[in-house]
Amino acid sequence: MRLASTDLLYAALALYGAGTSIALASLLFPRQTRAQRAAFIVMISGFVAHTIFIGTICVRTGHPPLVNLAEIAAFIAWTILLIDLVIYTRLKIYAAAFIVYPLVFLLLLVTAIVGDPFTHLNAAQHASLFTAHLLTSALGVAVLFIGLAFALIASFQDRSLKSKKRGRLWDWIPSLDVCNSVTLRALSAGFVLYTAGLLAGFAWSLRVSPGSSEMHAKQIGALIAWVLFAILLDSQLTGFLRTRRTTLALSAAAFAAVMVSIFGIAHA
Amino acid sequence: MPELIIVGLNHRTAPVAIRESVHVSSDGLENAISSLRALPGVEGASLLSTCNRVEAIVSATSENVTVAVVDWLCGRAGVSRDELEKHLYVLHHDEAVDHLFRVASGLDSMIIGEPQIGGQVRCAFQAARKLASFDPLLRQVFEQTLRVAKRVRSETGIGLHAVSIPYAAVELAKKIFGDLTDLRVLLIGAGSMGELTAEHLHKQRVKQVIVANRSYDNAVTLARRFGGEAVQFDSLEQHLVECDIVIASTSAPHFVIDREHVKRAAHKRRTRSLFLIDLSVPRNIDPEVATIDRTYLYNVDDLRSVADANAELRQAEARDADGIIAAEALAFRKRLLAHDAVPTIVELQKRVEEIRATELEKCLRKMGPITIAQREAMEMFTLQMTNKILHYPIVHLREASDQPAERESARRTVRKVFGLR
Repeated sequence: MRLASTDLLYAALALYGAGTSIALASLLFPRQTRAQRAAFIVMISGFVAHTIFIGTICVRTGHPPLVNLAEIAAFIAWTILLIDLVIYTRLKIYAAAFIVYPLVFLLLLVTAIVGDPFTHLNAAQHASLFTAHLLTSALGVAVLFIGLAFALIASFQDRSLKSKKRGRLWDWIPSLDVCNSVTLRALSAGFVLYTAGLLAGFAWSLRVSPGSSEMHAKQIGALIAWVLFAILLDSQLTGFLRTRRTTLALSAAAFAAVMVSIFGIAHA
Repeated sequence: MPELIIVGLNHRTAPVAIRESVHVSSDGLENAISSLRALPGVEGASLLSTCNRVEAIVSATSENVTVAVVDWLCGRAGVSRDELEKHLYVLHHDEAVDHLFRVASGLDSMIIGEPQIGGQVRCAFQAARKLASFDPLLRQVFEQTLRVAKRVRSETGIGLHAVSIPYAAVELAKKIFGDLTDLRVLLIGAGSMGELTAEHLHKQRVKQVIVANRSYDNAVTLARRFGGEAVQFDSLEQHLVECDIVIASTSAPHFVIDREHVKRAAHKRRTRSLFLIDLSVPRNIDPEVATIDRTYLYNVDDLRSVADANAELRQAEARDADGIIAAEALAFRKRLLAHDAVPTIVELQKRVEEIRATELEKCLRKMGPITIAQREAMEMFTLQMTNKILHYPIVHLREASDQPAERESARRTVRKVFGLR
C-alpha cells in the first residue's frame, strides 16, 4: 500500500515533468497547437495519478492532506492544476500552461523531496476550525497563484503590444481584457478564501494556546502575503498602481511571501 | 466512370472586364447551374462564382463536354469563343480535385487565406444539392473539399492574421479588448483610411461610433453612415474618457491629441485600456502617449509592419497547407479508385458465397443428422475459409495502381479467374 502511493506520486511527478517539457518545447513552434494538446493530455494523466495519490492520503490519515509541507504542496499543486484545466477547457487559454505546469511540477517535486506525506493529527488539531483553516488557506493560495499567473501573462502581452513586437507567446495569449478579467476574479476569490483561512487559523491558535503571541516564519509570511495581495486586488479594482512593472514587483513579493509561509509549515 | 472537369477563369488569367461579364450573381446561381446541368453529357454540375473567379465544375463521361461548357460560358459572357478561350483553364480529374481543394482553402485567392471563399464554395455546393444536380462523384468531391478546407483552417494559421491596415487595426483591437461589441470608437477627421478602419470596426458591431471633425456638418454626415453620433471637435478630451478606440485621420499638420490629454483621460478610465490609431501623416497623436500605462498607440507605419509580418506568416502557413492538401488529394484519389472497384468486389463476394452455400448444403446432406453446434461449426469453417481466400484478390482490386489501364487489367484478371461475367 505504502509502495503503491509513493509510486503514484512519482508517476504524477514524471507525467507533470513530461507535460511541462512538452508545453515549454511548444514555444519553439508558435501557432502549432498539437504540442500543447499533447502536453494537456500528459498533464491530465498526471492529474489522475495525483488525484489518486491525494485520495490515498485522505483515506490513510482520515483528514484532508494539508498537515505538513509535503501534503500541502501536493494539495496546492493539485488545486492549481484543477483550476487551470477548468479555465483551459472553458476559455482555451494556452499561455497559462507555460507558468502553471512548471509551478505544479515544482510543488509536487517539493512533496517528493520532503518525503513521506502521511502525518496523523495530534489531539489539538482534531478541530473543525483547524481543518477549515488549512482547507481555505490552501485553496486561497492556489487561486491566488492562478491570479498571479494570469497577471504575468497579461504583462507579457502588454509588453508585446507596447513594443509592437510579436513575442513567442503572442498567439497563445488571449486578449488583455480576458487576462485581466481572470486575474481579477482569481485574486478576488483567492483573497476571500485566504483571509478566511488566516482568520480561522488565528481563532484556532487563540483557542489552543490563549495568550501566546509568538510568530513563526509561516505566520509572518502569511501576513505579509495578505497585505500584498490586498494591495494587488485594490490595484486591479481601482488601477491605482499605474505601471505594470510595479504590479509585477508586488506580485513577485506576494508569491515569495506565500512560499515562505508554505515552507514555514515544516517548522511548525 | 465519370470524370471531374473544371472550366473557369480567375484573377490571374482574366482581366476584371472579362470576369464581370461571366460573373453569376447569387440570385442567378440556381438558374445557371440548371442550364449547365442540362448540357449534353453532363452527369453532375455546380458553379463557383466570386468576384475573382468563375468556375464551371462538372462530372462527365465524355471529353466532348469541355467544348459544350466553354460554349456555355461564351454564351453567358456574350463574347466570342476566341476572345474567352485565351483566359480559360480546363482541369481534369486529379488536377481538378487538387485545384478545388486549394481554392476552398484560400490558397488560390488574391489574398492568401481570405475566409470568404470557403463560404462561397459551400454556397455552390448547397445550390447544386438543392437542384439535385449532383452525381455521386461530384457530391463526394464537394463534401471532401469542404472537409479539407476546414482541416486547413483548423490546422494552419492561414486565415488568422490580418494583411490589410484596417484589418490589422481590428486584429490589434481584439488582442486588447477581446469582444468589441461593448466598445465605443472615436473617429477624428475624415481621412479615407480612418473611415475604412471605422467601417471595419463598425462591422464588428461596436457599441457606438462617435465622429469628430473640424467641420461639424461633415461629422454629422459621416456619423450617419455608422449610425453614430457627431460631436464638436473641441470636446475631444471628454470623449477620450468614454471611448476605447480612437482613430485619428485628419489633415492637421500638428498633434490633435497630446500626452496630457491622454494622461488625464487614462486617470479617469482607471483600469480600462485605450487603443489609439494614428493614420495621419503628419501624425496627429503625440508619440509620447505610448508611455502611458494601459494606452496602446499605433501609427500607420506600425500597422503596415503588422500587416506585412502577417502576410509573411500566411505564406509560411500556406506551405503547411500545401502539404495537407497534397496528402488529402492523394488519399481521396485512392478512395475514388477503391470505390471504382466496388461492383467487381460485390459480384466476387456474391459468387463465392453462392459456391460456399451450395457446397456446404451438399456436404451436410451426405453427412446425415448432426447437432446444431456441429452445423454452426461447419458454417463458421466455410465462411472463414472463403473470407481468407477472397482477402488478397479484394485488396488487390482496391489498391490497384492509379493507372486506368492497370486497374482495368486487374479487374479483368480477377473476373476471369473467378468466372465472373
